[in-house]
Amino acid sequence: MPFASGYFRTSYARELRLVDTRAQAASLTVFLAALGAFPFVASSFLLDLANQFFLASIGAVALMLLTGYAGQVSLGHAGLLAAGAFTVGILVKEANAPFWVTLPAAAGVGALLGVVFGLPSLRLRGLYLAVSTLALYFVVHYVGSEYETERGFSTGIIVDPPALGPLVVSDARAWYFVLLAAAAATVVLALNLLRSRSGRAWRAIRDHETVAEALGIGVPAYKLAAFVVSSMLTAVAGALFAYYRGFVSIEAFSLFLSIQYVAMVIIGGMGSILGALLGAAFVTLFPYAIEALIEVLPTPERYANLVFAVNYAAFGLVMVAFLLFEPEGLVGIWRRVRDWFVLWPFRQRPLAGTK
Amino acid sequence: MRHDANSLRRKNAPLVLAERARAAPDAVAFRSKHLGIYRERTWRDYASLVERCARALAALGLAAGDRVALMGDACEEWMLCDLAAQALGAVTYGIYPTASAAEVEYQMRDGGASIFVAEDQEYVDRLLPLLARLPAVRWIVVIDDAAMFAYDDPRLQRYGRLLEGAAPAPDPAGALAQLAARVPPEAPAFIVYTSGTSGHPKGALVPHGRHLAGAFNLVTHYPTLAEKAHRTVVFLPLCHVLGRDVAITLPLVSQLVPHFGEDLADLPQTLFEVAPTALFAVPRYLQKFASQVLVGISGTATIKRAAYGLAARIGRAHARRRWEGETRAASALAYRLARAAVFRPLLNKLGLDRLELVLAGGAAVPPETAALWQVWGVNVCEMYGQTETAGAIIAGQRGPFPRPGDVGTVPAGWEVRLGAGDEILVRSPDLFDGYWNDRGATDAVLDADGWLHTGDVGAWADGRLRIVDRARDFIVTAGGKTLSPSYIENALRASPYVAEAVVFGHGRKYVTALLEIDYDTVSDWARAHGAAYTGFTSLAQHAAVERLLQGEIERANAQLARVEQVKRFRILPKALDPEEEGEPVTPTRKVKRRLMYERFETLVESMYDDAEERLVAAAAGGLLHQ
Repeated sequence: MPFASGYFRTSYARELRLVDTRAQAASLTVFLAALGAFPFVASSFLLDLANQFFLASIGAVALMLLTGYAGQVSLGHAGLLAAGAFTVGILVKEANAPFWVTLPAAAGVGALLGVVFGLPSLRLRGLYLAVSTLALYFVVHYVGSEYETERGFSTGIIVDPPALGPLVVSDARAWYFVLLAAAAATVVLALNLLRSRSGRAWRAIRDHETVAEALGIGVPAYKLAAFVVSSMLTAVAGALFAYYRGFVSIEAFSLFLSIQYVAMVIIGGMGSILGALLGAAFVTLFPYAIEALIEVLPTPERYANLVFAVNYAAFGLVMVAFLLFEPEGLVGIWRRVRDWFVLWPFRQRPLAGTK
Repeated sequence: MRHDANSLRRKNAPLVLAERARAAPDAVAFRSKHLGIYRERTWRDYASLVERCARALAALGLAAGDRVALMGDACEEWMLCDLAAQALGAVTYGIYPTASAAEVEYQMRDGGASIFVAEDQEYVDRLLPLLARLPAVRWIVVIDDAAMFAYDDPRLQRYGRLLEGAAPAPDPAGALAQLAARVPPEAPAFIVYTSGTSGHPKGALVPHGRHLAGAFNLVTHYPTLAEKAHRTVVFLPLCHVLGRDVAITLPLVSQLVPHFGEDLADLPQTLFEVAPTALFAVPRYLQKFASQVLVGISGTATIKRAAYGLAARIGRAHARRRWEGETRAASALAYRLARAAVFRPLLNKLGLDRLELVLAGGAAVPPETAALWQVWGVNVCEMYGQTETAGAIIAGQRGPFPRPGDVGTVPAGWEVRLGAGDEILVRSPDLFDGYWNDRGATDAVLDADGWLHTGDVGAWADGRLRIVDRARDFIVTAGGKTLSPSYIENALRASPYVAEAVVFGHGRKYVTALLEIDYDTVSDWARAHGAAYTGFTSLAQHAAVERLLQGEIERANAQLARVEQVKRFRILPKALDPEEEGEPVTPTRKVKRRLMYERFETLVESMYDDAEERLVAAAAGGLLHQ
């Protein structure tokens, strides 16, 4: 429902619009213009941060679909990213395949793994499911490192930048637009999935599996679908990561990466795509913020070797703090701030009937 | 399309509809929400639906002069059935959706309807038990047949199926015009039962042409209705003459586009979505919305409340200057800021920020309520009319932003004078025909010279009419002071926590009041102040609520003369429900004072301490009996 009065729909097509009100259209235009102008004013460091954020947001949105909406816990996210990256690495190394082969292949591998990851969810819930996905993560991790050592790439696989004819995506600015497009496509796909039948089915399963089944939702099929969609998107994110870095190594896909993605979803706010984006931004920027804070201290060089430890500790603290004090995450804070202004001068909507 | 009263007087509503359908077939006539979507009906659709419905009703045997009763909340189909019946020359009348069984039976018998149109299964259930005693009813047409699967009365018909039986005509406007041309403009169009506060309701019979010409005086008095397209929301019951004006008649003769919500219960949402530019309301709604806003403000964050307080101060000062006609640039600028920063967002939450004209009528508008809306920047004008004026107004404040307290000026072509005892008398070629089946009652209000006796007492102030009291309802206290109870009651009702107030004091030493609490606002207040309650009665009897209302009474007393001040009050332990048999409240929620006293005699008497009288009687009594 729009925040402002006077929007009445005279057709269902109008109801389906993602951008509904004039205020939404205006703010979206401004936002897109800012995004378009950003790479031309930002430093290369900021550009790299933005690209990292776009990559993280694809994975975070994918995990949000699975965990935040369908209610299925997964600790195997790093394994899926690794699977996507290694699909690219292996295909490039073994078959010298171009990106328009490797990306769909990564998606296919992701989908396949999604079925495998999803099968335990048909029987297991909560902690047990988390542990089973963790086990699968180790399987993928093991296969990856075996490949590296057996084929003699123990330091990693070099991946050339993707090229379409004369167009080569190599500089950060070009990557910015490619990754922005990928992230935007992921967000739109997720939003559309969520307001269609599958999204409603996922939410029903999350809230109460038995009731969902009683409502005629095919619970096993939709659970598997959630895993497949989420894994596919994540594997694509992994593939893009491989191209962006130009380098694939199993070292990059530690268990901590899985934890980071779960943190994005929790810190961002469960059950919200905006939350996934906010969480991705937070987790991506957090280590840089800690570093910057240490730089401000009087004698930063004395703490240089502590940066890593402080980073981990602070990250843990922040996560616990969010779980304790702001279970709705960043999006909860955003909603409160927004409502404060949107509901001005009221605290709640007057007249109970107006939802 | 330009209209004037003289040409309208020679037409009927279906004919005007056919003309509009021919002149602007693709323009939107109204919108009605169905399954989340506001279906747009063009004038061609409108005419086609009415024409098809007329054929369907004719197939049921409806003929000129027959009566059709309709019952339910305002909806598109009601309007279509009503105009379709009118196009056949039948006479329609609405029954209040909140009418009690005895009232339904009385109006069904008195009107003698052969077809009963029910909005949904609920109203079918109201009629079915009475059917054995109502032989005239031949058919029951159900509009919304959602819950009708277990009903097998042979007289039941489904509106949807009836309409399917009448295929669309190739030229609906022409077909409708042909049909309507057979109905003379001076023939009766509909009956409106007036909810008298005493005795049975009387049915005012209104002819086609005079109703159109009469209702058109609203357009001549408020030309904006015809000058630009206005959105309005239909929520008043269509059996009320004002509701009929808003939903059916005015849209035909002006540029008003009515919007029907999904359900009357969703009115706040409908208003929010439609954001009407013109609204017709009875004061109760204005009061209810205003009190919800005030309660919302009182519970909001300190800084927001402070902003509202500041804006309200600026708004009050500006409103006062505006009434006096001496706005200064500085205050106008300050007000514009206050409106942009506070009042506009506030009204936007209710969907009322785009209102250009609010016409309040049907009952006296408490001046405080009108003033408050004007402070917020809503142009509330009070108008005054009666069922007997056939949909026309007797007087109305032209505005913009008129000072509350009078009902404004008399529309062009209408005559108003004060008769014996300052009773307001009205004369016009467009009054009603008389009461249905009640010659005596007609003669009592319509005299030989064509003056309609309204029964209300008025006074003139600078060419504007002021209603001193409605229906000559006075209290003469034991001290010989004549008071207007409605004035005192309005002062009490200005409180957001008071839904209804009834004042007593005839022949008494002082004035007392029975109060019905506004359950929504008082329960909000109770929750915010930690007062525990379980339901209406426990809330009404809560000591904290009594203290709250004591404060409200004191505030009202501050604006009343000493003799008018309410010395004691009692809170009704239950909500007044017009649907219940013998409740002292009419379906329009007018309170019957006499019945109120009979019903709550012990409560009223408990407010009068007669120790003094007993003492005097005891002292004097012994003397008299010696």
